[in-house]
Amino acid sequence: MTGGRSRPFEGSLTRRAAVGTMAAAGAGFVLFGPRGRAQRTDGRLVLDYWEKWTSHEGAAMQRVVDEFNTSQNRIFVRYFAMAGIDEKTQIAIAGGSPPDIVGLWNYNLPAFAASNAILPLDDLAAPHGVSPSMYAQGVRQVVEFRGRMWAAVNTGGTLALYYNRAQFREVGLNPDQPPRTISELDEASRRLNVTEGRAGLARVGFHPREPGWWGSLWGYQFGGSLYDEQTDTATVDHARNVAAYDWIGSFTRRFGLKEMNDIRSAFASYDSPLNGFLTGKVSMVLQGPWLANVINAYNPGLDYAVAPFPVADDLFDASAPIGLIDTDILVIPRGVKNPEASMEFIAFTQRQEIVERLATVHCKGSPLAASSEAFRTTHPNRGIEVFEAIGRSPRSYRVPPTRTWQKMRDELAVVFDDVWNQTSTAAPALTRAQRRAQQAIDLAAQQEQRRAVERGA
Amino acid sequence: MKKVPAEVVGLAWISPWLVGFLAFMLVPAGMSMYYSLTDFPLLESPLWIGADNYARLLTDPDFHLSLRNTVVYAGVVIPLSITVAVILAALLNTRGLRWKRFFEAAIFIPTLMPLVAASMIWMWLFNGQYGLINALISRMLSPLGITGPNWLFETRTAMAAVVIIAVWGVGQAVILFVAALREVPEQLYEAADIDGMGPVRKFFHVTLPMISPMILFNTITLLIGAFQVFVVPFIIFQKDKGGPGRTAYFYTSYLYDNAFVYGQFGYACAMAWVQLLIILSLTGLLFLVSRRLVFYRAG
Repeated sequence: MTGGRSRPFEGSLTRRAAVGTMAAAGAGFVLFGPRGRAQRTDGRLVLDYWEKWTSHEGAAMQRVVDEFNTSQNRIFVRYFAMAGIDEKTQIAIAGGSPPDIVGLWNYNLPAFAASNAILPLDDLAAPHGVSPSMYAQGVRQVVEFRGRMWAAVNTGGTLALYYNRAQFREVGLNPDQPPRTISELDEASRRLNVTEGRAGLARVGFHPREPGWWGSLWGYQFGGSLYDEQTDTATVDHARNVAAYDWIGSFTRRFGLKEMNDIRSAFASYDSPLNGFLTGKVSMVLQGPWLANVINAYNPGLDYAVAPFPVADDLFDASAPIGLIDTDILVIPRGVKNPEASMEFIAFTQRQEIVERLATVHCKGSPLAASSEAFRTTHPNRGIEVFEAIGRSPRSYRVPPTRTWQKMRDELAVVFDDVWNQTSTAAPALTRAQRRAQQAIDLAAQQEQRRAVERGA
Repeated sequence: MKKVPAEVVGLAWISPWLVGFLAFMLVPAGMSMYYSLTDFPLLESPLWIGADNYARLLTDPDFHLSLRNTVVYAGVVIPLSITVAVILAALLNTRGLRWKRFFEAAIFIPTLMPLVAASMIWMWLFNGQYGLINALISRMLSPLGITGPNWLFETRTAMAAVVIIAVWGVGQAVILFVAALREVPEQLYEAADIDGMGPVRKFFHVTLPMISPMILFNTITLLIGAFQVFVVPFIIFQKDKGGPGRTAYFYTSYLYDNAFVYGQFGYACAMAWVQLLIILSLTGLLFLVSRRLVFYRAG
C-alpha cells in the first residue's frame, strides 16, 4: 500500500484464478460459442441457403429444400429467411463468410456480377442442363450480364394491368375490352373517377402511385429506355421518357395534387384488405401476378381481369406486349467452398415440376420457356396466360443492367416527385436526372478501371 | 502464492468491456477511417484513393441536400423538444398534481417503444384520410374551413411529421428536467417571493438558470440524436424515399444508401467522419456558449 490509499483488488484474486477464469471463458466460447458451418453427424455436406421469403412463400420454399434433402444423401441444405437480404449478402461476402446459395432480386445481379461477388454459372450449370435457353425469351436477359450466365431464376413475374370489371360495366365501359393504349387508359380512367363534393375523389380510375413500386420505369411503356448497355450510357432524357413523365404529371394537373394525394391515403398497404384495388378505390393498377394471392385472400369475389399494360398509341401490337420482367434469382456467392454442391441444389429447383409448384404457391409465372397445361389451368391467377405472354414477348424488358441502377432509380424517383408535385416539368427534371445518372455511371466505370489497373499491376 | 498486481486484476475485471470497446468501437472506427480514404464498394477489396471521397463531398448535391435537411430538422427539433420538455417537467413538478404517476408514465413510455413500431403507428395517425390527427383537426377547425394536410405526402408537412414524432419521444428529457427542478433550492423561490417576483420572472430568473446544466446536457444529447436521425424517416417514407420532394431525406439516410444501396462504402465512411466532425464542432460550440449561459452551483 502506498500513501495510505486502499487497493481493494490486491490479494483478492490470484494469478492462477485470473488465468483460470479467462481460460474457462475461452473454453466455454470454443465449446458453446457460435458455430460455423458443420458437417452433420450423418456425414452430409451442409449448405446454407439465404432467401427473402417468409410466411407461406417461405414455407413453400422450405418444402422444396426438404424435397431436395430427401432426394439424395450427400448434401443437406439449411433454409434461412431474412429481410434486407441483398445488404446482408454484401456484408457476408465482404466478411469472407458467405452463404452457399442466395436468393436475390434480378436488379441486384449487375452490381454483384461486375464485382465478381458471385460466381458465373456457365460451366457449373452446363452439366445439369441449366442454361439461359431454358427460360422464356424475356427472362433470359435477366440471368445474363456481359455475356455470361450468373444466376438461375426460381420464381418470376411480369407486370400487367389489373382492372375491375364490375366498375367498367358500371360506367359503361366494355369489361372485355381493356384499354390498350395510353389514350384509352386515360379515357377509361377519366370515366371511372368518382368525385364526392368537397370530399374530393372517392374513386380513381388509375393512380400512378398505386402501388408506386416501379415509378422509374414508365418510359418503357412509351417506347423509351433508360440505359444503353453497349455504350454504358444513360438515356434517361430520351424524348419518349419525357412523354412518359409528362403523362405522370398530367394526373395532378388534371385532377389536382391534393385530390390525388388524398385518395392515395386511402389505399393502405399492398398485402392488406385495404389495398386500394381490393376496396374498389382504384379501378386499374399495374401489378404482378402475385396480386391474385392478396385478392383471393381478402376479396375473392372481386370481378377482375388482367391485360397487358397500355402503351403509347403508336406502339400497340397485340402480338408483342411490353412489360417488365421482375424475377427472383438464385446465385452462388464468391468464396463458397463447394460451388458444385450449391449448383446441384439450384439445378434441382429448376425442374419444371418444382418451378411450377413454387410459382403456384407464390402466385407467380413460370420463368421457363414452356409451362404445363396443368400449371396454367390450376394457377390461382386467372390472368396467368397474359403474364406468361409478356414474359415471352420480344418487347419485354428488364431493369437497366448497370451496377448503378439503384442510383438511377432514385434519381428517377426525384423526377417522378417533381412532375407529380408540379415543381418541375418533365424535360428539365429528366435532363438533371440524366446528368446525375451519367455521373454515377462514369464514376462506377472509373472505379472499375482503377481496380483493373491495380489488378494488372 | 504470488499476488497479482492490482492493476492486472482491475484490467481483468473490466476486460469484457475493454475487449468489447476494442473489438466493436476502436478497431471499427480505425478501419472506417482507413476505408474513408479508399474506393471500397464492399463487394471488392478497398483501394487507396487518398482524400478523393472527402473532395467528392464538396460537389455532391445529395450530400448538401441531406445535410441541409438535417440542419433544419435539428434546428427545429432541439429547441422545440427542450421547450416542450421543460414545460411538461414544470407541469409534472406542480404541487398537488393528481395522477402524477400516470402522467409521468405516459410521457416516458414513448421512449421505451421500438422506433419501428412507433413509426408504423404514426403513419396511421398521420394518414390523410383515416388518421386520428386529421380527424381531430377536422372536428375542431372544419367550421373555419380548415382541414388537415396530407402529412406524409405533401412537401410542406413531411418534415413537420418527422419533427412531431421526435418531440413525442421527449420523455427522457422530461424525466431529467423533473429531477433538475426538484433540485432547485426552495429558498431561492422564497427570496424571489420577497423580492416581489411573479411566476414568470421566477421561472426565467430562478428556475431556468438553476436547470441550465440540464438544458445543456439535453441539448447536446438531442443534437447528437438529431444529426443521426434515421429510423423514423426510413420507415415512414419507405414508398417515397426521402419523403415528398426529398424534404425528409436526412444525412444518415444518404450515408446508409451509399454504404448499402449504392455500393460506395468508402464514401459512406467519409460521410460518417464528416458527421462526427460536425457533431463534435457543434458540441464544442455549445460548450463555448454555455460558459456564458450555464449556471453551475458551487459545491
